Amino acid sequence: MNDSENTQNAEKAENSENAEITRSAEHGTADVSGSATPPHERHRPWWHWRRLTGSRPRLAVTTGVAGAVIGALIGGAGVAWQTGTGPFADDRACWGAFSRDDVAALFGGKRDIETSEVPITSDRIGNEGASGECRLRSPRGRRITVQAHRLDNWFGGSGDRWADEFLSARLTPLGGGLLGMASDTRAWLAVPDGCVGRPNPSDVPNGPTVIDLETGWTVYDDEVDTEARDELARAVVKLVNHYMADLGCTGTIADPVGGMPAPPRFLDEKKDAMCGVKGLPLPGAYQREGRGRPLVTRGDGPVRTCDRGVLFGHPGLRLMTVEDPRLAVLYDGLSRAGAKEPVKAGEGDGRGFVRDEMGMFQAECQTGPVTFLVRADDADRPGDIRTLLTRYVAAEADRIGCGPLRLTLPGAG
Amino acid sequence: MKQLMSGARRRTALIGGAVVVLVAAGLGTWATDTWPFDKDTYCWGAWKEDSGPDFLSSEALEEDNASRTSKETAPTPGRQRGRCTVTIHSERVSGGGEKVVEETEVTVAYGPAPEDAAERMEWIGGYLGGRAMPLPDGLPGATDGNHALLVLPKGCDAPGGRPTAVTLDSTARSVYSDSTMPAGAGLGGSQSVARLLVAVANRGMEKAGCAPAQPLEVVSPLTALPEEDESFFTRACRIRGLDLGEEAKELEYQVGAVTRDLQSCSVRLRRGAGRYFDALMVAQPRLSALFDGATGSRAPARGWRGTGVFADDYKVVRADCAGRPLTALMLAPSTRETTPYFAAFANAVARRLGCASVAPGSATR
Repeated sequence: MNDSENTQNAEKAENSENAEITRSAEHGTADVSGSATPPHERHRPWWHWRRLTGSRPRLAVTTGVAGAVIGALIGGAGVAWQTGTGPFADDRACWGAFSRDDVAALFGGKRDIETSEVPITSDRIGNEGASGECRLRSPRGRRITVQAHRLDNWFGGSGDRWADEFLSARLTPLGGGLLGMASDTRAWLAVPDGCVGRPNPSDVPNGPTVIDLETGWTVYDDEVDTEARDELARAVVKLVNHYMADLGCTGTIADPVGGMPAPPRFLDEKKDAMCGVKGLPLPGAYQREGRGRPLVTRGDGPVRTCDRGVLFGHPGLRLMTVEDPRLAVLYDGLSRAGAKEPVKAGEGDGRGFVRDEMGMFQAECQTGPVTFLVRADDADRPGDIRTLLTRYVAAEADRIGCGPLRLTLPGAG
Repeated sequence: MKQLMSGARRRTALIGGAVVVLVAAGLGTWATDTWPFDKDTYCWGAWKEDSGPDFLSSEALEEDNASRTSKETAPTPGRQRGRCTVTIHSERVSGGGEKVVEETEVTVAYGPAPEDAAERMEWIGGYLGGRAMPLPDGLPGATDGNHALLVLPKGCDAPGGRPTAVTLDSTARSVYSDSTMPAGAGLGGSQSVARLLVAVANRGMEKAGCAPAQPLEVVSPLTALPEEDESFFTRACRIRGLDLGEEAKELEYQVGAVTRDLQSCSVRLRRGAGRYFDALMVAQPRLSALFDGATGSRAPARGWRGTGVFADDYKVVRADCAGRPLTALMLAPSTRETTPYFAAFANAVARRLGCASVAPGSATR
């Protein structure tokens, strides 16, 4: 890209040199044969207005040349204005989505932010989806990384880190049916289906294309700075709107901030309602202090997550319901892979498995696939996982309108 | 200046200046695409030539013998009915030297839902069922990209309270000497259809004298249909009780919208051989109002909650669900006994929305 531009510029430069040479040559001949030039004008340089307008043909040529030059200037300025280059460059960051003010809003009003980016492009055969990255860095150390990527269908693998951090209970759904969430350190939003087209689930299941922002970590699990969260929510909506416009899609996602509930705080859990789920008794081991208090997603959204014992974005125990089919489809692979010890349910209700450290059920609900997940970061309490899985799935399935779901665990004992 | 320029020079300079101004104005016109000469408009002035979708583009008329005509009657304050048809007709000669006629027709209708109950059920099912998805931004309507319906605000209700709706339909076909093939109408997909529909609804309401203070608007993107039709199944639309067993081998299903406001499940004979049944649930209050006066005054059969009608070609029931009327409709040929499927659908949907059963019998499984 840059190479070719440079070559073009070089060519332009050469051309203009040639033009000058030609012009001076003409000027020379004019001087030699120039009987029409009055003697007093010979002292004037060739570009003097009197010499340029001295005769009618000359005046015509001059007017024409001047007109062409002015026209070229207007045209060039127009192009520069339209493409936002030259004196009209707006220093827009992150693929043109953020103005200087937008960037400043993300850094508490500071304007000395360095930006760098990799454009959003698809790989040649398009099987990995579009991806791109943009980094914003303050000289005081704070940085924000923006990524565009398609979520992959093996959430049990590398996708786990994304799910741990971006489906965390610290994040609040953007609401309004949007597939996206935000906290003061993370935000993400899927590009709407109508724009990029929805991946065909009967094909290789693929996730939505999302744009996400991350800003590092905070030590306070349950103290989400609402203002910072709102800024990130606005920013991610701006990014997706800009990307949609680039793709030529119609539709604009409205500012979601007004409709978002307050960020979650640690839950005062009752013994018979773990994570606030009625009918889910809290296992003995989790009743003791020190195993962490639960944080639960607030508001209707793509997921309801209950995290406890979070260390650098990785929960010690997570109970999660993925209600949005566009996201739940990502767990399809995992739900089949764990089939060594499948759990049983009604015919056509779905499939799942239970292991020592995790259990999951991928349900076939009227709305599409729904994922229920119970996962610890160690295999110390397999009994708790088993008890929690059946009761959690039964209670949550009723809540979201996918009930009744009664699971039978393998090798009950 | 007089001293500096002779008359001739001044004239030349003036002409030069005029040329520059004209060139600049032309550039501006070209860049902003605001040619001062009028474009054709259609449907009460709601749609402009070259304003987006292919069927309105001037390129659509660049083929041989192509013409776009429109026929329209606008609603008036005295007559709350209107109709508008845009037709594109073109002729070309195919590679084999055969004459092919392309015909595209887009029709907009403004007025209340059909009076006759059976007709109305078919009409509602046609716009809200199948592959239709709800319009965004809380607009009471739906579209599948070829058809669309929008229920207008209360101020436009017909006397007697029936809501007025604007519908959009399209057909397109290529006529060969020996056959006719369906074709795309060039409406530009659901997003574009939603905008066309809202534009014509706004203009229609102006003409009818019932336009709201703020014109209706589509801002957010439409949700895309989540899934394609499915022919390998026994349980239709993942709804418990719609287990079709052996019969499913000849059938396919299509899940449409599944929201708190609207849900549809369409079961068809394979290879386009027709309808098995179409099930629809409507809970959005304005869409629900389309059923007003056609859901009877008592329970449709013993043990059913709410009011309803079991007629030859349709079954409809309306019952309260979490403070809103939930209407369930099943369209099916009367030759087939579909009451158990209707009961299963109504109960499964009510349960999904957290409401009591509508139909008698076990609510589970």
